[in-house]
Amino acid sequence: MIGTVVTQKASGPVLDDLVLVVPELIFVGTALLLILIARRIRKTPVAIVLTVAAAVAAALSAVWFAPAEPTTGFAGMITVDGYATFFRVLIAATVGMTTLLSVRSIVGEEVPRGDYHALLLLAATGMMFSASAIDLLTLYLGLELTTLCAIVLVGIKVDRPLANEAAIKYFLLASFASALLLYGIALTYGATGATDFAGIAAALSKEGLASAPFLLVPLGLVTAGLAFKIAAVPFHAWAPDAYQGASAPVAAFLAAGSKAAGLAALGRVCLVAFGSETEVLSLLLAGLAALSIIAGSVLALSQTDMKRLLAYSSIAHAGYAVLGLLAGTGEGVSAMMTYAFFYVFMTLGAFGVVIALGKRGEELDRYQGLASQRPGMAALMLLFLLSLTGIPPTAGFAAKFVIIQSAVRADHIALAILAVVCSVISAFIYMRVVVLMYMKDPQEAAPSRVPIAVTVAIALAALVTLVGGISPGSLTAWAVSP
Amino acid sequence: MQGGPVSGGGAQPIYLTLLTFAPLLGMLAILCIPKAKKEVIRTVAAAATLLPLVISIFLYVQDWNGTGPSHGQAGMRFVEKHGWIDSFHIEYFLGMDGISAPIILLSCLLFFIAVFSSWTINKGVKGYFALLCLLEVGVNGCFLSLDFFLFYVFWELMLLPMYFLIGIWGGPRREYAAIKFFLYTLAGSVLMLVALVAIYLQSGGLESGTFNILQLQELMKSGALQEGAPSLLGMDFQTWTFWFLFLGFAVKIPIVPLHTWLPDAHVEAPTAISVILAGILLKLGAYGMMRINFPLGTALMEPGSGTTIAIGVIGMVSIVYGAFVAMAQTDFKRLVAYSSVSHMGFVILGFAALNDMGMNGAAAQLFNHGTSSAMMFLIVGVVYDRVHHRNLNDFGGLGLKMPYYSGLATVGLFAALGLPGLANFVSEIMILIGAFNAPHTQWMAVVSVIGIVIGAAYILWTIQRVFLGKLNPKYEEITDIDGREAFCQIPFAALCVLFGVAPFLLLDVFRDSIKSLVTFLTVAGG
Repeated sequence: MIGTVVTQKASGPVLDDLVLVVPELIFVGTALLLILIARRIRKTPVAIVLTVAAAVAAALSAVWFAPAEPTTGFAGMITVDGYATFFRVLIAATVGMTTLLSVRSIVGEEVPRGDYHALLLLAATGMMFSASAIDLLTLYLGLELTTLCAIVLVGIKVDRPLANEAAIKYFLLASFASALLLYGIALTYGATGATDFAGIAAALSKEGLASAPFLLVPLGLVTAGLAFKIAAVPFHAWAPDAYQGASAPVAAFLAAGSKAAGLAALGRVCLVAFGSETEVLSLLLAGLAALSIIAGSVLALSQTDMKRLLAYSSIAHAGYAVLGLLAGTGEGVSAMMTYAFFYVFMTLGAFGVVIALGKRGEELDRYQGLASQRPGMAALMLLFLLSLTGIPPTAGFAAKFVIIQSAVRADHIALAILAVVCSVISAFIYMRVVVLMYMKDPQEAAPSRVPIAVTVAIALAALVTLVGGISPGSLTAWAVSP
Repeated sequence: MQGGPVSGGGAQPIYLTLLTFAPLLGMLAILCIPKAKKEVIRTVAAAATLLPLVISIFLYVQDWNGTGPSHGQAGMRFVEKHGWIDSFHIEYFLGMDGISAPIILLSCLLFFIAVFSSWTINKGVKGYFALLCLLEVGVNGCFLSLDFFLFYVFWELMLLPMYFLIGIWGGPRREYAAIKFFLYTLAGSVLMLVALVAIYLQSGGLESGTFNILQLQELMKSGALQEGAPSLLGMDFQTWTFWFLFLGFAVKIPIVPLHTWLPDAHVEAPTAISVILAGILLKLGAYGMMRINFPLGTALMEPGSGTTIAIGVIGMVSIVYGAFVAMAQTDFKRLVAYSSVSHMGFVILGFAALNDMGMNGAAAQLFNHGTSSAMMFLIVGVVYDRVHHRNLNDFGGLGLKMPYYSGLATVGLFAALGLPGLANFVSEIMILIGAFNAPHTQWMAVVSVIGIVIGAAYILWTIQRVFLGKLNPKYEEITDIDGREAFCQIPFAALCVLFGVAPFLLLDVFRDSIKSLVTFLTVAGG
């Protein structure tokens, strides 16, 4: 009897732990299935339906199997808590919506169907792991899985030179960032003797920066590595090129999912692992945030390519989200989560309109007169642009409000002012699109019909953007920090 | 707007909700009507703006009669209070007092008239009237909100309809004017947002904070918000939040030197939108100062303090500068726009005097300038519709061909000039007396009189150039004002005369609320 109990204990935990990663298992399983049957898929809808079903199942199971208490599994490598669940659902939603948005780009051009969706799912798996990781190694693995899949996704259209160039650029810079992160992890281990967050925090509380200034190096390196993932200035250079070179749905996926995952990782690392070094960390993050907000807003002004424009806007928004982390408090992290949540949907929505308009959607000037040709599409774009600007009653305003609040709370009033002033600068560029859509006469024929899947995805994003603006609490009540 | 009532219990009146959101229903109805049925759309818009007008007249009369609860800083009437976003203590909190009652009346009247004044618009009728209705929601909501967050939401809500109304239905440089308006206002309002957030956090933040404007003012005055509050650039908490709010509101008024968006917006906007812009949107900035900004900075509002002197100088400069620049204009609409800068300067000067006389005058000036400036823009609109230009030097002798129009126009222009017997005279003289009586603004009152003289000069010169003299032969065929146009102008002309001859009809409503406001601002202690 005793023997059996012991063996059960030895094998039990791992099996029990599997319950914690059901959403990831669903994604990996579907991805493998898609790779296996890739050659047999004649019709695209099969892959799309499978992927969307997987995304819905993953989101539901993330909520359904969420333990009541934060539960740690796999020998302290991951934890499933409210924070992880929040981001898992968000990432699953991103995957589902990206799949819907990519209907046209897959049908229209030569893209390996099975592989495309499998890569999306695997990238999302990595994102989910980085949201639930409580060990620097799991975190690294998750982020790397995401990045590698994303690089392939960017360059998936082999015959497009621009896509190849973007993929190579992304690959080189991502490798560099990975090296930084890995080096940071190694040095952290060297200094604290631990790679798990709790261990690092314990070691830091005994011997912090004050007594061991060397710690600044690993701290900076890890932050820099993560800043790359969310494309914060000065680690942003890859984003505009990658977004422009990639097909629009992939760019949307990078802008929404990859950024959310990066923020998730950054949030947990800052709050849990390096929580005792808030002062220094806050300084680093404030620099990142300020630079990102300024550079993102100002550089967006001169863009004529819609995807590049949205790339710079996403850089600025990464800066805004980071403002939430300055305080180093749970409330601040909640604000960041709220921001990330609404940002994902408004960005997906804006990219959705770009995708819906096809080639026309990718050039700023060709938005002329859209309102008279496609009033619905123009109105949706207006909604998303307003939300990105942060005008009530859209979700973007709710997001801006909580983030400004958390910055003021952390006594970073100057930064809060900088943020709102830059939001006026970016309003200019968003309003330029509105001017083109509503106040100019059309120069070309109306765009062709939009696939129903794309419409569904945009409508979903619009719904969240509106509901989030009118009653923000109903959507982000579960934005709980770790 | 969900959740049950937070306080009070019992049935709350719904006048104010109805007043605010009736145009929204109108907008939704308009969106459902097919594009081609233009007459139906216009009629619905008229109905949607008539209902708030009726309610506001009813509430105004109630207020004038003095029935209902008492006046006072906290003496809000027809209060509605419900929870909205509970996690941030944000409430749906509306109320009306003697300051807002006349201004709401003005707002509802302006929107009602604006519908008729835009009756001839034929491009995108559906969108135009839908946006006009949405704009009214934002404006009325602002005047009635007593929750700072709610106020801010309404404040920003106005931005977009206005942007489109100028940008789509405007003149040749409409895009430039629209985006300039948008960015200026947004820049002001984001600074307001920072102050709003900081004040909220200081009031207790997520645990026990509040957005209740009246409560925040009490807290600020008692010094409760100052403890451990963040300072900025060496300014203490109350000072920097005060100036941030001030900037946000001042852009809207607009004060010199933040006024440059106004002439552009006015010149490009269609007539009805100019009417709304000058008649009520500018008033929002001044109203915001009275309702929110000044009571949140009582420590700075000591008569004779640097702040009051600074505000007075801003008012004085706006008066004189606006008048001089107006005189130099050859574009009729630009002239009226700059005269608005000048006349709104009087409001600021009245605020700075910080006494009953000045403050009452400022409040009355808000109303009277609302009617007279609306009328001036309608006057410009009438002639522009006929000759398609606004060059003052290219008119002449129109009085011969358009006697009725000239008669009405003269009333409006003389009102703007401040002729005794017409409404603006009352408010401007009150402001000047108020300012003269306060030692710290005495010299400013003296200087500001220049503005009145210049004002008389450019108005008389305008009358001369447009209506008098020999008829320009180009205009032999010009027709006189028609019934619809007269209908748009007569209410304003009537109000100019009525409140000029019987100013107590207006001042009685303001008096008690203004008195308690001035007391709150100047008398120390709770």
